Amino acid sequence: MERARHLRSLRSALDAVAGGDGGVLVLLGGEAGGGKTALVREFCRTAEPVLWGACDPLFTPRPLGPFVDIAHDLGGELHDLLEAGAKPHQVAAALARWAQAAARPPVIVLEDLHWADEATLDVLSLLGRRIAAIPALVVATYRDDEIGRAHPLRRLLGEVRGTGSVRRLAAEPLSIEAVAALAEPHGVDPAALHRVTAGNPFFVTEVLAARGADIPATVRDAVLARAARLPAAATTVVEAVSIALPHCELSLLESLVAEAAAGLEGALAAGILEVVPGGVAFRHELARIAIEESLTPYRRIALHRAALDALAASGADATRLAHHAEAAGDTAAVLRFAPAAAEHAASIGAHREAAAHYARALRFAGDLGPAERATLLERRSQECYLTDQTNESITALEQAVALRRGIGDRLGEAAALSLLTRRLWCGARTHEATRAGHEAVRLLEGLPPGRELALAYSNLSQLYLNDEQFDETVAWAQRASDLATTIGDTDVIVHSLNNHGTIELLAGRPEGLAKLERSLALAERPGLEEHVGRFFIHIGWAMTRTRAHELAPWLDRGIDVCDELGLEGWRLYVQAYRARLHLDRGRWDDAADDAGFVLRSAESVPLLRILALTILGSIRARRGDPDPWPLLDEALALVDGQHELQYRVPVVMARAEAAWLGGRGADAEEATRDLLADAVARRASWVVGELAWLRRLAGRDEPVTGVAEPYLSQLAGDAGAAATRWEKLGCPYDAALALVGSGDEADLRRALAEFQRLGARPAAAIAARRLREHGVRGLPRGPRPQTARNLVSLTRREVEVLALVRQGSSNAEIAARLFLSERTVHHHVSAILRKLGVSSRTQAISESARLGISTPT
Amino acid sequence: MPRYIVERTFDSGLHIPVDQAGAETCLAVVGRNAEEGVTWLHSYVTSDRSKTFCVYDAPTPEAVRRTAERNALPVDQISEVSVLDPYFYR
Repeated sequence: MERARHLRSLRSALDAVAGGDGGVLVLLGGEAGGGKTALVREFCRTAEPVLWGACDPLFTPRPLGPFVDIAHDLGGELHDLLEAGAKPHQVAAALARWAQAAARPPVIVLEDLHWADEATLDVLSLLGRRIAAIPALVVATYRDDEIGRAHPLRRLLGEVRGTGSVRRLAAEPLSIEAVAALAEPHGVDPAALHRVTAGNPFFVTEVLAARGADIPATVRDAVLARAARLPAAATTVVEAVSIALPHCELSLLESLVAEAAAGLEGALAAGILEVVPGGVAFRHELARIAIEESLTPYRRIALHRAALDALAASGADATRLAHHAEAAGDTAAVLRFAPAAAEHAASIGAHREAAAHYARALRFAGDLGPAERATLLERRSQECYLTDQTNESITALEQAVALRRGIGDRLGEAAALSLLTRRLWCGARTHEATRAGHEAVRLLEGLPPGRELALAYSNLSQLYLNDEQFDETVAWAQRASDLATTIGDTDVIVHSLNNHGTIELLAGRPEGLAKLERSLALAERPGLEEHVGRFFIHIGWAMTRTRAHELAPWLDRGIDVCDELGLEGWRLYVQAYRARLHLDRGRWDDAADDAGFVLRSAESVPLLRILALTILGSIRARRGDPDPWPLLDEALALVDGQHELQYRVPVVMARAEAAWLGGRGADAEEATRDLLADAVARRASWVVGELAWLRRLAGRDEPVTGVAEPYLSQLAGDAGAAATRWEKLGCPYDAALALVGSGDEADLRRALAEFQRLGARPAAAIAARRLREHGVRGLPRGPRPQTARNLVSLTRREVEVLALVRQGSSNAEIAARLFLSERTVHHHVSAILRKLGVSSRTQAISESARLGISTPT
Repeated sequence: MPRYIVERTFDSGLHIPVDQAGAETCLAVVGRNAEEGVTWLHSYVTSDRSKTFCVYDAPTPEAVRRTAERNALPVDQISEVSVLDPYFYR
């Protein structure tokens, strides 16, 4: 009844899709028992074709569960893909192809996404982002009160928002009038009913079906009251079905209950159970839970055990078997099925579920031998690592190391220690990481050389890479690579090539790129996905450090590749570096979007939060927006105890710049002093330049060596040359920052204009103040910051210059005509090229004509 | 949720007609704001309509700027504020 409005929305969405405007994704939220399923069923009654899939309420759901359901009905390509173990992007592509080939746009229903496994969420994310190109109406339901801040679904909901192709509906509780209308035929007091049930549709219908004298106080009581009215045979069937997830096949039911037919009839007739594809199930999950919880422990265990036996014999899904095995307390079965379920989940990219399965196996591993337990721990550690659960990853691996040491397995202990170095670094425990790394090498050098030693060498080279120690990095990488080549271990060759190439790129040596590219080429095979992710992260790091923006295309590609391979954590790093790229290029809105996304998603990796917080803080400080300091203070807390430049530089620089912009130059100077010495020691010439220039702006004039261009020029007093270099690098803010430190009035005017164009209010105020100190009066308000929508607006002077450019005049000729210095004309031409977004005079002529900019003839 | 004052300058002046079209314009702004959790409370407009001071509740300044972009509104300055009422202290 009250759902008419929502039904209309769904209908209009389907009409929009049928009209050929591309697909629509509808996200339907509501509380448990809120009537989402009923609403969607009502809508689908008159729609065709409909594909229906639901997520399991299993603690560890079947990977791609709803798509397995859909493929069951659909057959064809999707079915074959899933049988063969498809990855999320393949599933999404197959669905899209099917929708495009269908005669009418289909409705695809995905229910209960709050229970979705990681692979299912990946598919939904891909569908959501490309929905405009998929001619289908996708309706996804979820319990909005069950997804906390950190739930993966919440992140996805944030990701796909904001376009017309994604719509949100909420199934609200029933109003008192609606409850009254339902209650009237039963003679139940509608006010009391509404008060107790809070308008929850499921609760209301259960109460009315129970037909008791009193209104039960909870949903559970209502369900049990209704079930109590069943005859004994039906009750037995209902109890048996309650333990079967996602539904109960008829064959399974027969194994659980002798002569189930009569009882089943009764349960179906009473409306507690319903027929679904594949068997029978409860009408609502809330009912199933209520019944299952009401079973005696003995009966529950007995049912699970019987289900386990029956399903194992018929070769069912390892996930279901593991679930029943755990509920039955069958240790041997858990240890048999949980690892199998984990491997299956991992193979299709559902790493969260894989980690949970290993955890389940470990709970039952008390009697396992230490070596087997260590293996389970190592695998769990890997899965936790891949899903950004860094602390759990470290704990599991530490336990594995202790176990291996306990049984004298030196090789195993060293291999685990070596792996632990990487995990500890991710958890920002660098000292422990270095200790573990050297210990691993020490142990392994006492044994015949093999891949474990090669890997241990390479892990050490990675630690030194992160600390930006050039010589140590190269030395350990070389040892690793030599040994790995001898024994033919591609994994280590890829890893060490990457380390070597990265340190070279950071030092400004272009030959590093070739090594990195070679490592990527070697890594493009199954099992080496992590290395692919590392490639993109290191490209991002080196690119942002040395402003090598020609490497920028790698970042967009990196995000796509990481998504495809299910590398969540890696993708966030690449995105953080892309945010920095946007910041440097003056695209502050894009930078804020990327940094904001990373902040919402980064759970436990401190470096990710540091990168994102400092970018967002810098944007606010540069714009003069409130308030950068909470972000910058959080970043400072995260960097506590860290020594590496890649941790400290973003924080120190962002805070120092914000302080200087806020008129507190002394704070800026103090914050940067120690870091400058460390950067000089590491020969990190870009960092030295950045720090030295900010200190100069804050009033500190000191000699400094080992500085990269363009900083070298601006520190030497040639602001114009530096600004030109910065503009070539595509960094307008840095160009203006170079000019604002100059004593030359024209430079300061240029800086002011550029800061105004970028919307950098505090810096513009500083430039204006310095101009006034030069005795300049009557400063221009300047052009307003250009948003993407606004048309190009040239100043009056620039229009004059452009006119002459169009006539083919050289800078010298223009200077003569307009009575300006050649240098000033050069500046105007640069500004025109930049505003038009071109890089040559010829392009400027054609672009300005295209835009219809008229100039005086 | 913080409260902000957003200053805007309109080069050719702000002109929203007092009719159905004007009402729809304002409600469209409200709708686009809602996508980011941004609430436009009300605005103060100078007599010559060249400048406005808009009072907003929003999660972050970036959300204010994103919705401004979508609504094609200029942003000069954003300040975080709290309300001071002369009769508060009575």
